[in-house]
Amino acid sequence: MGVEVLLVEDSPGDVRLTQEAFREADSRIRLHVASDGLEAMEFLRREGNFRDAPRPDFILLDLNLPKMDGREVLACIKKDEGLKTIPTIILTTSNSEADILKSYQLQANCYLTKPVQLDEFENVVKSINDFWITKVKLPHRR
Amino acid sequence: MNIVELQESERHLARMEARYRGLLEAAPDAMVVVDPSGEIVLLNAQAEKQFGYSRDELLGKKVTSIIPEGFAERLVADGTRSAAEALAQQIGTGIELVGRRKDGSEFPIEMMLSPLDSSEGILVTAAIRDIAVRKDAEKHLVQMEARYRGLLEAAPDAMVVVNQGGEIVLLNVQAENQFGYRRDELLGQKVTNIIPEGFAERLIADGTRTAAQALAQQISTGIELSGRRKNGSEIPIEIMLSPLETTEGILITAAIRNITVRKAADKHLAQVVDAEKRLAQMVEDLSRSNEELEQFAYVASHDLQEPLRIVAGYTQLLAKRYKGKLDSDADEFIAYAVDGANRMQHLIQDLLVYSRVGKRGLELLDVSSDECLHQAVINLRVAIEESSAEVTHDPLPMVMADEMQLIQLFQNLVGNAIKYRRPGVPTVHVSATRNGGAKWIFAVRDNGIGIDPQFFERIFGMFQRLHKREEFAGTGMGLALCKKIVERHGGSISVESELGLGSTFRFTVTGGNNKL
Repeated sequence: MGVEVLLVEDSPGDVRLTQEAFREADSRIRLHVASDGLEAMEFLRREGNFRDAPRPDFILLDLNLPKMDGREVLACIKKDEGLKTIPTIILTTSNSEADILKSYQLQANCYLTKPVQLDEFENVVKSINDFWITKVKLPHRR
Repeated sequence: MNIVELQESERHLARMEARYRGLLEAAPDAMVVVDPSGEIVLLNAQAEKQFGYSRDELLGKKVTSIIPEGFAERLVADGTRSAAEALAQQIGTGIELVGRRKDGSEFPIEMMLSPLDSSEGILVTAAIRDIAVRKDAEKHLVQMEARYRGLLEAAPDAMVVVNQGGEIVLLNVQAENQFGYRRDELLGQKVTNIIPEGFAERLIADGTRTAAQALAQQISTGIELSGRRKNGSEIPIEIMLSPLETTEGILITAAIRNITVRKAADKHLAQVVDAEKRLAQMVEDLSRSNEELEQFAYVASHDLQEPLRIVAGYTQLLAKRYKGKLDSDADEFIAYAVDGANRMQHLIQDLLVYSRVGKRGLELLDVSSDECLHQAVINLRVAIEESSAEVTHDPLPMVMADEMQLIQLFQNLVGNAIKYRRPGVPTVHVSATRNGGAKWIFAVRDNGIGIDPQFFERIFGMFQRLHKREEFAGTGMGLALCKKIVERHGGSISVESELGLGSTFRFTVTGGNNKL
């Protein structure tokens, strides 16, 4: 059974690095990409081009996004009865106290900073897989 | 002259006399007409009243009975002048004499004489006025003036009294000294001689106000003007005006103070205030530019992280996947790219930490420096194990500090002590002593390579390095961060060292409220 992950990230370089890291970590993972907040919400609500999009097992959300930033996306997800149970993981370069606090106030499931070093980043991705896919019990997908 | 002519003449005289008597009675003053021998030949009702006699009692009497002295004498011609001449000298001027009443009481009089040619020779008409009231007033005025003069002389300031014509009528010794004139050189002179501008103008009433009103506006407010001395030199003065009502009209008393010293002091003060202002402005500008710099450093380093991650991530990915698969040049280029990205990452991280020390509010609490050092040593575990360093310390006190920053401070200083070691076992010892006041002096002593004294200042600057990268890695931010932490805590940091003989870093921190 494949694992569906939505990555909300606007930087193609970051997207590719993340894809590479996930490929190394677990080949079963299908990584879907939304490059801004609006696209992320369309994907989650299966609107427009995303009519056939799967419901993700968890979401990796960057905070700084064009059009609709990560904080707004997070707020929308957690206000939506159908989406709020999807674990939403903040994955960002920011390690400012304000961003961390705000994210948890908006009920992010966890907050991770992207390490600069590639091997550390790969470790983070492995940890995400290990925890959110292998260890955590989640409600059944609809 | 025949009888008829005589009779005619007498009738004429009687007519004249009657007419003259009518004039006498109409006069407001006592009038007495005296013949050359000094006998009273005519008087009016006012004269009767004045001296307390009836007309009959005085007619034909010597005038000396009512004016004992000074009148009769004036009627007497002496060898050098005729009676007419003697009189002429008195005409029109009031003579002050003493009158004597029937009851013997005396009173001051003023007398005006005028001659009257008659058939009986020159008769003298004397208009006599009782001046007792005026005399009293004058006496009073003299007393007042004397008293006022006394006050003027007692005043510490130069005082000048000026009439409405702008002439000086009174002044004190201080005024003489102030302006370098003798009193008689100033009395009666225009006040513009000593105060060229701004004073005389104030005495002038214009269409909308009287002089008194004009003055009232100036009362008790100091007016700063320029005074001129006799030698022509100018002095800054302050004058205070007050009006004085007198029989001669309103006089203005001006208190004049030499404010040369005050002016100089004011100027000095203004300069000092100005300098202080500029200094405060500079401090403000500097602290603002410091804050801006920190803000800039934070934002820049924060935003630099993202592209850096991409560069570092992909060069590392290249190195990982393609090392040995391309040619040796490619491997070398990739290695330099990876190294550059890593160095940049350290710089940015250190810069972020540095700017955060200034950005974040300090939480000064009672903390155990002993525990902070302990935590720093734990953080340095790997380096300590690798170098087999011995880190020891004396009992350390409670201090007022931000715990995280104090840990960082110890970590940097102990970390440096281990990093810049000589061959052999590196030893680091931390101690603390009271500075005599509220502060503790901490000392971190090592047996490392030491520092050339010429670099003592420089090592605390940002990005300052004393070694080649191959010798010692690092961004040159460690001690800059230490300095910033210590200064944020209100302390200071210094170093004592000699090349090859180890270093001792000392910093001060305020002691805690709870004793050790």
